[in-house]
Amino acid sequence: MSCGKKAAAQVALLMAGAAMLCFGVWRGEAATVLSKAIKLCLECVGIG
Amino acid sequence: MNMKRIFALAFAVLMVLALAACGAKDNDKQADMSGDGSAMTGEPKTAEEALTLHKELLERENALLSENAELWEKVFMEADKGMAMIEDGKNYGDFLLDTIEGAKDQFTDEEYEMLKESATEISNIENKLTELEEKYPEIMQESIDGAMSVPAGSDTSTPPDDGSMQKFPAFEGKDLDGNTVKSDELFSGNAVTVVNFWFTTCNPCVGELSELDALNKELAEKGGSLIGINTFTLDGDETAISEAKDVLAKKGATYQNVYFDSDGEAGKFTTNIFAYPTTYVVDRNGNIVGDPIVGAITEKKQAETLQKLIEQALAADVG
Amino acid sequence: MGKKFSGVSQTMSRFRGWIQAGATLLTNLHLPNFLKGGLYQGAGKTVCVPGLNCYSCPAASGACPIGAFQAVVGSSKFSFSYYITGFLILLGVLLGRFICGFLCPFGWFQELLHKIPTKKLSTKKLKPLTYLKYAVLLVMVVLLPAFLVNDVGMGDPFFCKYLCPQGVLEGAIPLSLANAGIRAALGKLFTWKFSILLSVIVLSVVFYRPFCKWLCPLGAFYALFNRVSLFQMKVDKSKCVSCGKCARACKMDVDVTKTPNHTECIRCGMCIRACPTNAVCFRYGFGNGKETSKKTTMEESK
Repeated sequence: MSCGKKAAAQVALLMAGAAMLCFGVWRGEAATVLSKAIKLCLECVGIG
Repeated sequence: MNMKRIFALAFAVLMVLALAACGAKDNDKQADMSGDGSAMTGEPKTAEEALTLHKELLERENALLSENAELWEKVFMEADKGMAMIEDGKNYGDFLLDTIEGAKDQFTDEEYEMLKESATEISNIENKLTELEEKYPEIMQESIDGAMSVPAGSDTSTPPDDGSMQKFPAFEGKDLDGNTVKSDELFSGNAVTVVNFWFTTCNPCVGELSELDALNKELAEKGGSLIGINTFTLDGDETAISEAKDVLAKKGATYQNVYFDSDGEAGKFTTNIFAYPTTYVVDRNGNIVGDPIVGAITEKKQAETLQKLIEQALAADVG
Repeated sequence: MGKKFSGVSQTMSRFRGWIQAGATLLTNLHLPNFLKGGLYQGAGKTVCVPGLNCYSCPAASGACPIGAFQAVVGSSKFSFSYYITGFLILLGVLLGRFICGFLCPFGWFQELLHKIPTKKLSTKKLKPLTYLKYAVLLVMVVLLPAFLVNDVGMGDPFFCKYLCPQGVLEGAIPLSLANAGIRAALGKLFTWKFSILLSVIVLSVVFYRPFCKWLCPLGAFYALFNRVSLFQMKVDKSKCVSCGKCARACKMDVDVTKTPNHTECIRCGMCIRACPTNAVCFRYGFGNGKETSKKTTMEESK
């Protein structure tokens, strides 16, 4: 990959990543992550 | 060599920070918890166990007081003799705390901290002692009569925070259709009540809902009932309630689901539960029968334990 | 213009073990919880940690990215997680598999096991197995939780439930030791996963990082970003004498002189330490940096 193209791809991906992150938070996904992460659903971690 | 030392030092600092920061935070939680009692571990099942516990706690309290006798002397001197020692809701430990506060300038910072710590522990011990005495009034007699034998290796390092909480915490809340539900009415109206804790996004919890409904119908014939508590719905979160009702409807579960405030006694009890699904068996007097059942009751082991506890509660009810 | 720093590269590689230990501690900050048999339930768990670290670990400070992804995808409300994917893309570009080499607790665990003195076997002939982790990522983490749903529209977190050994090591075992209720709940699923953990442990003693090479979906995801990551391996062609020491030192079977940003490179820096002419170093920055060939045109990055 040539230098310029690579840098462009990197910047584009960074921006895409940030945008997706914000969109996900706006959608309420972060709340889902938190609610699942503080309660131990036993089967989900392979107990039982 | 220099870098290595820097790294090692940074690492050590990090470790101390982790233990200190979390230790302090969680120690406060511990102090609160031992008041409500943790739901996870076992409780003294028999009067003898309770008696031993009672003795151990008294020993600990005495040990605390004799450890720094002169400091405590000063505290007692400051105690306001006119003040009623046991006010509403307070116990000996709290009384000590107040006195220490009042006499703060008599002590150095170190002494003050240490006294406060001990007094807080005494307060917790007193709470537990009262609970035990309420549950097993016979130990009051026996502790006075019986010889005070020193329990071998009394475990003062891990104070028995194994939930002497035998009573299911009282609550007053609503069910998902808006009807008021009071815990004392609920429990006293049933020979046995099975309480199932779940939450909407927990797969095994949702998976067992239909079985629980069948169990509810079965229990109804024997004079018992089953209720569910969805921890997302606490504090009456509207969205959570409608989602919960949705899921219940899809699984064909018609039994009552209740919610209450998260800052009440029952609310705190619920926040201490972190493994789901968890099921409790409660008898007519509102006492928890046996240990909580952790894991879906669709599994053989859990189903067997559940049946056993239900039988136990029903048998005790008749007797 | 990126930074080429040979001195720092050497230091970082030498102290990698310490950095891994520190990262493991930061990822699992709430140590007293081990004794209490409880979980950390604070707001920190909204954020994911970069490495593979199960949220069921009593000490865990944050959520596991793979676990969190499956939780979102498996819920009836969503079938794809933008939040987690965006977060992983950011990490992938910012750090790539540097995370695997320096920040992942389970990677460190495998390396510690590998230090046990036994006969070591090479994984060079087992290269095809490295494609397995992409299948694990695609099937167990992305597709199954989204499509294999129950009657309410909820999917199981297949990787966490059936495969992840880290969950057993950090979550199931400490919790069942401290908590009688959970101990009573252990059943066939736990037996299966425990046997997976045991296999990974045994394999780690003999092979280097077998889970990272063959099974880890998180590593698979970051691997896709090695080519476009800002954290790179840089070989100075004018210093390289083609002795081949770097390729022999590499335990991930990568030849850094030919493919410096290969998907299997975890940026551990063993090649940096092996090189007799200091030709290999880390590089952090956009683009490819200054070419050190004798060309007069300098390809500048943004």
